Amino acid sequence: MALTVEQIRTDVADCLGEDPADIPADENLVDYGLDSVRIMALLERWRREHEVTAGFADLAEQPAIEAWAPLLGAA
Amino acid sequence: MTAAVEAIPAVLPLTAAQSGMWFAQALDPLSPAQNTAECLEIDGPLDAALFAEALRRVTAEAEALRVRVEDTPDGPRQHLADHVEPPLTVRERATPAEAEAWMRADLAEPFDLAAGPLFRHALFRVGTDRWLWYQRIHHLVMDGYGYSLLVRRTAEVYTALARGEEPAPRSFGTLAELVEDDAAYRSSPAFAADRAHWSERFGDRPEAPRLAGRGALPSRTFLRRTAHLSPETTERLKDLAGRLRATWPDVLIAAQALYTARATARTDVVLGLPMMGRMGSVALRVPGMVMNVLPLRLTVDPGATFAELVRQVVLGIREVRRHQRYRYEDIRRDLGLLGESRALVGPLVNVMPFDYGVDFAGAPARARNLSAGPVDDLTVNIYDRADGRGLRIDHDGNPALYEGTGLAAHQERFLHLVDRLTGTDPHAPLAVHPVATPAERDLVTEEFNRTGRALPPTTLVGPIESRAARTPDATALVFRDTALTYAELNARANRLARHLQSLGARPGTVVAVSVPRSVELVVALLAVLKAGAAYLPLDPEYPAQRLAYMLGDAAPVCAVTDRADRLPADTGTEVVVLDGLDTSGYAWTDPARALTPAHPAYVIYTSGSTGRPKGVVVPHRAIDNRLRWMQAEYGLTPDDRVLQKTPSSFDVSVWEFFWPLREGAALVVAEPGGHKDPAYLARLIRERAVTTCHFVPSMLQVFLGAPEAAGCADVLRRVFCSGEALPRETAHAFARALPDVELHNLYGPTEAAVDVTYHACDPADAGPVPIGRPVWNTRLYVLDAALQPCPPGVPGELYLAGAQLADGYLGRPELNAARFVADPFGPAGTRMYRTGDLARWTADGEVEYLGRTDHQVKLRGQRIELGEIEAALAALPEVDAACALVREDRLVGYVTGGADPAGVRAALARELPEHMVPAAVVALDAFPLSPNGKLDRRALPAPVFAGASGARPFSSAREEALTGLFAEVLGAEGIGPDDAFFDLGGTSLLAVRLVGRVREAFGAELTIGSLFEAPTPAALAARLDAAAPASDDALGVVLPLRADGEGLPLFVIHPAGGLAWCYAGLAARLAGRPVYGLQARGLTGDEELPRTLREEAEDYAARIREVQPHGPYRLVGWSVGGVLAHTVAVLLQEAGERVELLALLDAFPSGQWRERPAPEEGDALTAVLRMAGFDRTGERTREDVLATLRAAGSPLAGLTDRTLSRIVDIVPNHARMMRAHEHRVYDGDVLFFTAAAPRAEDWLTRDAWRPYVTGRIDNLDLDCTHPQLMRDRYLDDIAAVLTARLKELDA
Repeated sequence: MALTVEQIRTDVADCLGEDPADIPADENLVDYGLDSVRIMALLERWRREHEVTAGFADLAEQPAIEAWAPLLGAA
Repeated sequence: MTAAVEAIPAVLPLTAAQSGMWFAQALDPLSPAQNTAECLEIDGPLDAALFAEALRRVTAEAEALRVRVEDTPDGPRQHLADHVEPPLTVRERATPAEAEAWMRADLAEPFDLAAGPLFRHALFRVGTDRWLWYQRIHHLVMDGYGYSLLVRRTAEVYTALARGEEPAPRSFGTLAELVEDDAAYRSSPAFAADRAHWSERFGDRPEAPRLAGRGALPSRTFLRRTAHLSPETTERLKDLAGRLRATWPDVLIAAQALYTARATARTDVVLGLPMMGRMGSVALRVPGMVMNVLPLRLTVDPGATFAELVRQVVLGIREVRRHQRYRYEDIRRDLGLLGESRALVGPLVNVMPFDYGVDFAGAPARARNLSAGPVDDLTVNIYDRADGRGLRIDHDGNPALYEGTGLAAHQERFLHLVDRLTGTDPHAPLAVHPVATPAERDLVTEEFNRTGRALPPTTLVGPIESRAARTPDATALVFRDTALTYAELNARANRLARHLQSLGARPGTVVAVSVPRSVELVVALLAVLKAGAAYLPLDPEYPAQRLAYMLGDAAPVCAVTDRADRLPADTGTEVVVLDGLDTSGYAWTDPARALTPAHPAYVIYTSGSTGRPKGVVVPHRAIDNRLRWMQAEYGLTPDDRVLQKTPSSFDVSVWEFFWPLREGAALVVAEPGGHKDPAYLARLIRERAVTTCHFVPSMLQVFLGAPEAAGCADVLRRVFCSGEALPRETAHAFARALPDVELHNLYGPTEAAVDVTYHACDPADAGPVPIGRPVWNTRLYVLDAALQPCPPGVPGELYLAGAQLADGYLGRPELNAARFVADPFGPAGTRMYRTGDLARWTADGEVEYLGRTDHQVKLRGQRIELGEIEAALAALPEVDAACALVREDRLVGYVTGGADPAGVRAALARELPEHMVPAAVVALDAFPLSPNGKLDRRALPAPVFAGASGARPFSSAREEALTGLFAEVLGAEGIGPDDAFFDLGGTSLLAVRLVGRVREAFGAELTIGSLFEAPTPAALAARLDAAAPASDDALGVVLPLRADGEGLPLFVIHPAGGLAWCYAGLAARLAGRPVYGLQARGLTGDEELPRTLREEAEDYAARIREVQPHGPYRLVGWSVGGVLAHTVAVLLQEAGERVELLALLDAFPSGQWRERPAPEEGDALTAVLRMAGFDRTGERTREDVLATLRAAGSPLAGLTDRTLSRIVDIVPNHARMMRAHEHRVYDGDVLFFTAAAPRAEDWLTRDAWRPYVTGRIDNLDLDCTHPQLMRDRYLDDIAAVLTARLKELDA
């Protein structure tokens, strides 16, 4: 099942301990507490549940939901 | 020199991250500490040739592996080579142990940054289908994340090759991108904002929490202890993290913060977090050195919960991340910590979750880190390799701070704590978690405190009365020419006791005694006790106001004095004046009284922090316990004589007075005031055969300084110390002066019946003197802020419990409630006393005193052990005794003896870090002592400080020149000779630059370390003056390379260029011997150059005889200098002197040169290069030559144009004179050193000397060219041979 932007936002918010509404699509998620461990955890989950193929560096290079969407196959 | 044939490599500056590593390496160029390494265990078949090919390809892709780093005048530069063949060692057959040993040995090898390559591989086949891949990389080019990129790519390439496919194209970014990215950041507004953030966050410059209690310079190696968190605990950890909406690293960081807070007795904790520093950056695709260490500041309050602490970590890291590109080194510099060599963070928590799930053509691999880089203090490395084995945790410790057992204890406790935290409600207060393991807790609360001993219920005075009945005729007391027997003393005290009883003295009441030291004082104290009352000693020397206060506070039934005017008149207390008192009407027998062990025995006032003295009430059972223990431990006999010299207002006097009287020994009473006079005390001890006495350590130091003290060695048996920390130096001085006398260190507050711990000093011991173990029926607790027991080695506050506790403070219920609290470890209803002393357990159950919890000495945030400064002061010649204290935020040293204060300060500046050097040293005739004989620090005079920096004129040309260099390198103005480099914004890199400039300008060898030690122009000038000849003289004919030293001097004569600086390396290797260089005339002024070598040699012979008027002489010469040395030797022999050493370094007689063409003028530049140890290669102009010299760090690079142009004349002049010179015969042997590498002048042979030498020519071939003789590795050999020969001659 393909990821959606909303699902990405929900999962990111979950691992940051924030409300999804507080996570903007175009902001640097590092400012919201995203770190390498959390990216690894998200990636693990998405690989397992959504057959994502992107690598760690792909996500860490541009840590924003907007930038991730095409990498994660979310339209 | 082969590198030059390759294509011109790209040259890049270093990034800020690399610069930090470069500087760390520059501090200690031979250190392997910057090595990082890991080992991959590969389970499966591997093709070693294909693997080598994969490494070759990855090396071609990863630029960072192909650099070497050179220092240039503009700073270090990295040179990127097009091609580097990866160094790879393959062992097709090896046992795992052999492989491990190989890796360990390799890890101890430093890389040569300037040479490269800065990495190394090895591949071991340790089983049929089992391989170990080892790689070591210098930290300057690679970090932990970089490793993961390299490993993944290597696996990818190998797998493709193994399948016969071409690997997918490379995806690494370039070093240039890193450098650009770094430069862009450093000029961005974000950089300024980040700097402001960190400066604000740490503006108060908190002290780094050190688990070892101190810091140390980085070592070349580290200790490592590896553990695994079980898969179960790992699961629980991750589960807890999830519940707290955090990650498992957050939880482990919080656990480490909790551990660190408790183990260092602080609530404000700063941990260091290594960060990969690549989020949102091009660096994600660049294997290289990017990581940064950032400080995470946490408040660990015992009342807060673990959940709250984890939340603090999550938010704290989030904040840190927003400013994560700012370098740790820069933060420290901004805060001014760099110059003080001060850390900002305590333990590092290094979480490495990098994805290592790789395989090599199907063979799975598991990574194991072998070195994560230098360890300043303690680093906790945590790896999640996602291999189902749980988390791996490495504790890496600096061996200068941790021993194996200490490191292991920190790890075990941490794992224990993590286990506890993951199994406990995170909303419970942190105080419920001890840092000690259950076994440690049992050890410190129970095992170390097994002191229970059943004793009869007696009082202080009862055993004295029994003793008097048993030995009535024995001598009880000696004072001046009076001696009393037990019967006489007992009778006098009984009569007075009965008189006191008639005035209301009975158990539960207080009687004051204010009598100077005398027979009467002993009688009076004993009488009060016999009456059943508690005595209150009032020192007659105390001010009237204080005496009046104590009388009013204690409300005694009466006061006993020796004469009428002893006490203030208007206190309303009835006074019993002994002078003229007739008690002969009272019975001489022991009086009746209803005294129990619970009644108070004495009340002693101690100073209160609020300024109001407080009366400590000590019951009989407490002091009786104390004296029974003392007798059992030290066994006083009727032969013993105990000195009574402590004022009665100080509780040490209690055992002095009453212990001997309980045991049938004699009390020798010192004159009033005599306790401050070491010579008097020594005489008294010797003449009265005193066997046992007490000293406060500072007084013991004074006593041992008196020449009479040693005369007590034959009579004294034991000396007790208490009242202050006993410095080890004092204990050692004691052992030297009184070799067969026991020295016992006791500790205890007045609140616990004199002493509660004891330690016998052993002259063989080192380190702080412990206060020791608990006495009978006494328990000691070292507790942390949560009142949890501290394990051994961890500092905490000392609490006391047991039989010796005082009843409390007289009439001060609130103070009693605060200081005497319920004992949570003892039986219900028992109390413990909070001492306010900082202490720690040793591993074998002794306690070390560490200082006060309330008046700790701190300067600029640094904790200073004044004892260390005092020891350093006391160790100086002409210093008899010393003390140090902090006054108006400045450290002041006080010394007695004949030392000059300025000299003392300068001497200390050479031994101690700057912050530990007293700002002023004051010389005193004697130290002021308080009435009870303790050093009275408040009575020490204030020092007079010198004027502000910059206000004074320069004291030497060198100081002025150095100040100029400071200003130049720092780009600053208005710098004075006393301004410190790092206070002026100097960075580590600027320090390297400055050292280079100093080298150039003065030809002086200087390390970066010396700049830390001597950070001002004035200090540096003094250091240069001490270390090397002044620059003005560096061009003189006689150059004292080492003027002081033992034995006959060695004279070394210049080569063609005329300078003898090239012999500095040789002189350095001939430690302890005087060495003088001889240099050509005309280097400085317009002096005429010599016309013949003989004329020149005659000049030198005369100069040599000014230094050493007569033989035997020892001469050395390199090149032309050898020819000159031979000629000087002949001249000296012809003058009737003996020459015992003539050493020629690759020097050939003039006849060998005569037919050869004279050199051109340009050869002067070759000569200059040769003097620096270089062959001339591509250098065409003077500038080229200077550039080569500068790059090599040669002092010759600092030659002025003027000197260079003189050398241009001097070189051809020598060439001309050589060809005209006629040798005469030297009578003796020659020591010859041949530069044996093939040379263009292949006709040169040492055999040409034969006609001019009557003795042997002993030769040593060195595998180098003529100029290379002066390089370190060849100088080592030359110096070894020379040293051996010189030793023969010395003998």
